[in-house]
Amino acid sequence: MLGFLVGEALRDLRRAGRVAVSAVVLITLSLAALGSFWLVSSNLGRAVAKWRDRVRIVVYLKREPPGGDVAALLERVRVMPGVAGVVFIGKADALRALKQVLGKDAGVVDQLPVNPLPASLEVTPSAAAATPEGARELLARLAVLPEADEVAGSADWVERFSHWQRLLTTIGLGVGAVLAAAAILTVTTATTLILHARRHETEIMRLVGASELTIRLPVLLQGMMQGLAGATLALGALLVTYSVVAPRLEPLVSLTLGLSQLVFFTPVGVVALLGAGTLLGGLGGWLARAAREP
Amino acid sequence: MIELHRVSKVYSVGPVKVPALREVSFQIGKGEFVVLTGASGAGKTTLLRLLYRDDLPSEGDVEVLGQGLMQMRRSQVAALRRSIGVVFQDAKLLPVRTVYENVAFVLRVLGTPRREITARAFDALRAVGLSARAQAYPAQLSQGEAQRAALARAIVRRPPLLLADEPTGNLDDAMAAEIVDVLKDIGAGGTTIVLATHQARLAAALRRRTLTLEGGRVMKDEG
Repeated sequence: MLGFLVGEALRDLRRAGRVAVSAVVLITLSLAALGSFWLVSSNLGRAVAKWRDRVRIVVYLKREPPGGDVAALLERVRVMPGVAGVVFIGKADALRALKQVLGKDAGVVDQLPVNPLPASLEVTPSAAAATPEGARELLARLAVLPEADEVAGSADWVERFSHWQRLLTTIGLGVGAVLAAAAILTVTTATTLILHARRHETEIMRLVGASELTIRLPVLLQGMMQGLAGATLALGALLVTYSVVAPRLEPLVSLTLGLSQLVFFTPVGVVALLGAGTLLGGLGGWLARAAREP
Repeated sequence: MIELHRVSKVYSVGPVKVPALREVSFQIGKGEFVVLTGASGAGKTTLLRLLYRDDLPSEGDVEVLGQGLMQMRRSQVAALRRSIGVVFQDAKLLPVRTVYENVAFVLRVLGTPRREITARAFDALRAVGLSARAQAYPAQLSQGEAQRAALARAIVRRPPLLLADEPTGNLDDAMAAEIVDVLKDIGAGGTTIVLATHQARLAAALRRRTLTLEGGRVMKDEG
C-alpha cells in the first residue's frame, strides 16, 4: 500500500510540472538562506563561547605578599562567588612575561633600575560570572580586598559580540520565515493544481470505498516530497559552498575570531534542516487539501 | 438486500423546492436483477445515488446490505461502498491509465496484496470480454469497450451489489446488447443488479422485474 501511495504522489508531482519545480526552488532558497545564517551564527557562537572562557580579571596588588601569605590570599579569592580559578603572578613572573612579549627588544627591560611591574592575581570567572553583570559584581568583590591596588577586566566586549551574533540569528530567522511562507504558498498552489488534476482519481477512490487516509495521503506526501527535495538541494548547495569557502576563510577567521576551523552542521542539524523542508512541503500540501475539502 | 421505506428527496434550487423522489418504497432481494426505468428526470439517478450513499433522502429510510444509511460515519460509508459496484453512463475511466491500470487501481486503492491484483484484474477483464484490450488507453476504446472496462472495474472486487446508471445510454443497439449480456452473466453469478435505463425497449427485452418511475414515484412494479 505504501508503494502505491508513494507512486501516486510521484505521479502527482509529474503532473504539477513547473509549479512543483518552482515550489522546490523556493524551498531550496528559503532553507539555503536559513542554513547560511545558521552556519554563520553557530560559528560565531563558538567564537563567543571560546572568548567567554578566556575572560580574565586581573587584581593588581599593592605589594608582593611574602611567600607564606600567597596561599592564604589565593584561598580567600578562590572561595569567592563567581570565581572558577585564580593564579598568582609575582613581580618576577610578570617581568619574564614582558620580556617574552618584547622578544628581541627584551634588553630594554634590563636597563630598568628596579622591576616596576606589580604582582597580580589572574582570576578566571565561572561561566555564570562571565557575563557583563557577573563580571561587574566580581570586580566589586575583588576591589575590596585589602591587598588590591587596582582591578581590571570586563566581559562587555564579549557580550557586544554575542549581541551581534543574536542579531544575525534573528535576521536569518526573519529572512528564512519570509521565504518559507512563499515556499508554503507555492506548494499550496502546486497541490491545488494537483488536486484539480486528480479529481477523477479522487472521485473513483471515494466511489469504491477507499479510506480517507488513502485519499489524502498522496496529496500530503507529494508536498512532503517537494519539501524534502528542496531541503536536500539546499543542504547540497550549503555543503558545496562550505567546502569551497571554508578553507579560504579559515586563516582570516583564525586570526580574527580565534577559531582554528569553521564547522558545518552536526548530524542533528542536517536532520533538522531536512525535517524543516519536509514539514514546509507537508504544510503546503495540507493547506491545499484543507482548502479543497468540502 | 435493498429496502426503501417512504423515501422522498427534494432538491432546493434557491428558494424553489424540486421534488426528485416522492414516497418511494420497495424491496429488492439478494441475487435479483431489477430494471429501474422511466423518462429522463424521473428520479432514477437520484435513487441510485441514495443506494450508494452519495446523497441522503429528505425523508424516509434506506437500507442497503442490511445497513441503515441514515446515520453513517464517513468510515462506514467507505466500508459500504466496498461492497457495491457502480457503473455510469460516461464510464468515468481514468484517461491517463490503461484499461488494466483502471481496473487494478481499485484493488490497489483498497490495499489488495500485489500478487493478487494482476490475477483478479484479468479475471474481471475476461468476464467482460476485454482481456485483449488490457493495455489500451480509454481514448483508444470504442464506447462499448469503455463501458465494459467500467463494468470490469465495478466487479473486480466481486461486490454483492452492482448499480448501473444508464450504462447503455451512449451505445447503439448492438453494443447495448453486449453490455446487457455481460450484466446478465454477472447476475447469473449471484450478484444483485439494479440497472437504471430510460430505454423502455431495452427494459422490456430484459424480461426482469421492472420498477417504473414517473415524476419521482414508482408507478409500476412488474415482473
